Amino acid sequence: MQREVGTLPLAPALRARLSAAGFQTAQELLDTGPCGLSKEIGISREEALEALQVVRQECHGDAARTAGGSGATRKCTALELLEEEQSQGFIITFCSALDNILGGGVQLTKITEICGAPGVGKTQLCMQLAVDVQIPECFGGVAGEAVFIDTEGSFMVDRVVDIAAACVQHCHLIAEAQQEEDHREALETFSLENILSHIYYFRCRDYTELLAQVYLLPEFLSEHSKVRLVVIDGIAFPFRHDFEDLSLRTRLLNGLAQQLIIIANDHKSAVVLTNQMTTRIGQSQSTLVPALGESWGHAATVRLIFHWDNSQRLATLYKSPSQKESTIAYHITSHGFRDVQPPAVTHSTERAELNPRKRPRPEEEK
Amino acid sequence: MDWDQFDLNPRTIAALKKADIKSVKEILNLSGADLQRLMKLSSADIQCLLKTVSHTLRRNSMLTALQLYQDKDHFTSQHQKLSLGCSVLDNLLKGGIPVVGITELAGESSAGKTQISLQLCLCVQYPYKYGGLESGAVYICTEDVFPSKRLQQLIDQQHKLRADVPAEIIQKIRFGNSIFVERAADLDSFQQCITRRLSLLLARGMVRLVVIDSIAALFRCEFGPAESALKARYLQTFGAQLHSLSTKFRTPIMCINQSVTMANSAALSHSVVTPGVVGSRVTPALGITWSNQLLMRLMVSRISLPRHSPGAASHYTGSMRTLSVVFAPHLPPSFCYYTVQLEGVKGIR
Repeated sequence: MQREVGTLPLAPALRARLSAAGFQTAQELLDTGPCGLSKEIGISREEALEALQVVRQECHGDAARTAGGSGATRKCTALELLEEEQSQGFIITFCSALDNILGGGVQLTKITEICGAPGVGKTQLCMQLAVDVQIPECFGGVAGEAVFIDTEGSFMVDRVVDIAAACVQHCHLIAEAQQEEDHREALETFSLENILSHIYYFRCRDYTELLAQVYLLPEFLSEHSKVRLVVIDGIAFPFRHDFEDLSLRTRLLNGLAQQLIIIANDHKSAVVLTNQMTTRIGQSQSTLVPALGESWGHAATVRLIFHWDNSQRLATLYKSPSQKESTIAYHITSHGFRDVQPPAVTHSTERAELNPRKRPRPEEEK
Repeated sequence: MDWDQFDLNPRTIAALKKADIKSVKEILNLSGADLQRLMKLSSADIQCLLKTVSHTLRRNSMLTALQLYQDKDHFTSQHQKLSLGCSVLDNLLKGGIPVVGITELAGESSAGKTQISLQLCLCVQYPYKYGGLESGAVYICTEDVFPSKRLQQLIDQQHKLRADVPAEIIQKIRFGNSIFVERAADLDSFQQCITRRLSLLLARGMVRLVVIDSIAALFRCEFGPAESALKARYLQTFGAQLHSLSTKFRTPIMCINQSVTMANSAALSHSVVTPGVVGSRVTPALGITWSNQLLMRLMVSRISLPRHSPGAASHYTGSMRTLSVVFAPHLPPSFCYYTVQLEGVKGIR
């Protein structure tokens, strides 16, 4: 009720008039009433009525918020946050080395950016994650669905079918080895058709379509509340041509990043973006750096850079708030994203301690 | 832009007209606060405007992966590919060239790139049943003259190459009539060609394959080392234009690129070890800016085998060549051998 007039969601011109007329809090507005208001600032009765309605709604909303305790601004201790983070799921990548350096996998509620030269495996990882997010909880997954926004046209459904079939096969092997009831039940719904039907695919042909799609995402995610992964494959592609005015591009990218952060938090999803590399010409040599400029570097919470070393593919964790910078090797097989060698036996017991929700996986026969 | 047809509050429509906003793109390019100031509306109204406008732009755009997988329609399916006319080569590419996207064919000179492109220009004219797209091709020459004699040879020998197709179907196709040859020796004429003539031919449905022989030639001479930023801009613009034409008309674009040998392999971010060629590191020209525009990259090279090599190779005189997949979203890095014969390019098992 004591809210200042300047913070109310009214049209800026109206707000200016109200301040000029001397109104300071929402309570004063409500006390004046529509007739008095329209006389004081010289607007029509209808406009005054509408404005007061908005004010009333806002105050009502505020009251509900402070009473309920949860909402836009809530207070909690760092311990609560820690517990929340530790129980947060990870989306595994099937390459245990990569999962380890990420601290368990691709984290929900964070934005992860994957940068790399063409052909190094960014789209492969995205397709792998779109399948892995659907792994049932009893196998260590988050049992979610995936949204895949494709700007380059590199989403080949045949490849996703191969990856999904290999994932189902892997889960079948685990179920056979462990012989537990909930595994069998979960496998009844974890089939190829099911996996494919829960990957929601959007094709955006330019940056305007991409912006529009991201505006519509919150609504889509509210309707499909099981979505736990949003992939934008090729955030750089629509933004790297067609821009005479680079400041417009920076502004649009910043706006996009903010919206994605809100989406990741509100809907408890992981957001994964892929970026291209560009050459930066230095004094004595040229290096490859992620595209879209320096300011874009702040958008993602976690940044992975994929690169080659002769014919071995390497992944470097370049930026992370909680894990240290390290490089691992990975392979892309016909089954998808995998380790270079089979993981050692000690890994599975370690992991059980890290994340108590997951059950240890038995050694896979290669 | 007729704002009245949108499902908006009359006050919002009036504000849009007053602020002289002409397109959806302008609305999305402005931030929420800018829109509020410009149109003098509240934030709730602006949110509603953005949602409505986005809905109109993106209506019915969602597909599930299952729908993509089950779609077998010729005109929309992802399974649709353009065959190369040889089952061995098609197996390497799991069907052929993808119909949407830019595919690059790189390699040293006289490795067989033009031969493969000419073969594609003929293959595209076959019915869908035989791996074609039932339409013609545009061949854009940027350096050499178009090899019309060789094309005629290939046309005459089609019945031999495509033994899988009944003779009466081959006879009915007027191959020469549907291949449109364009010349574009520099960047400006290339730009003209893409924006005018190519769009026209594609819009009329007369062609469903574009071959650019070669993209490297356009850029080799015109840009010195200091102008790399300008060169990158051109490459990105062309790449984007070709990409959008390919997506809009579901037409494969085959770009032929030259390759350069790198002496210092440490400088390479991505090198290809070509099978059979020892110690050389060939990489396609035009750098990473161009590679970022591609869906798929293929490389061809020539290898000469010694006379008494075992296996199928002993049947073939002259040099064998390899076609390798460098990267593709749906294919593993792999290669196969092929030869160039009178009737065309044929893979060797």
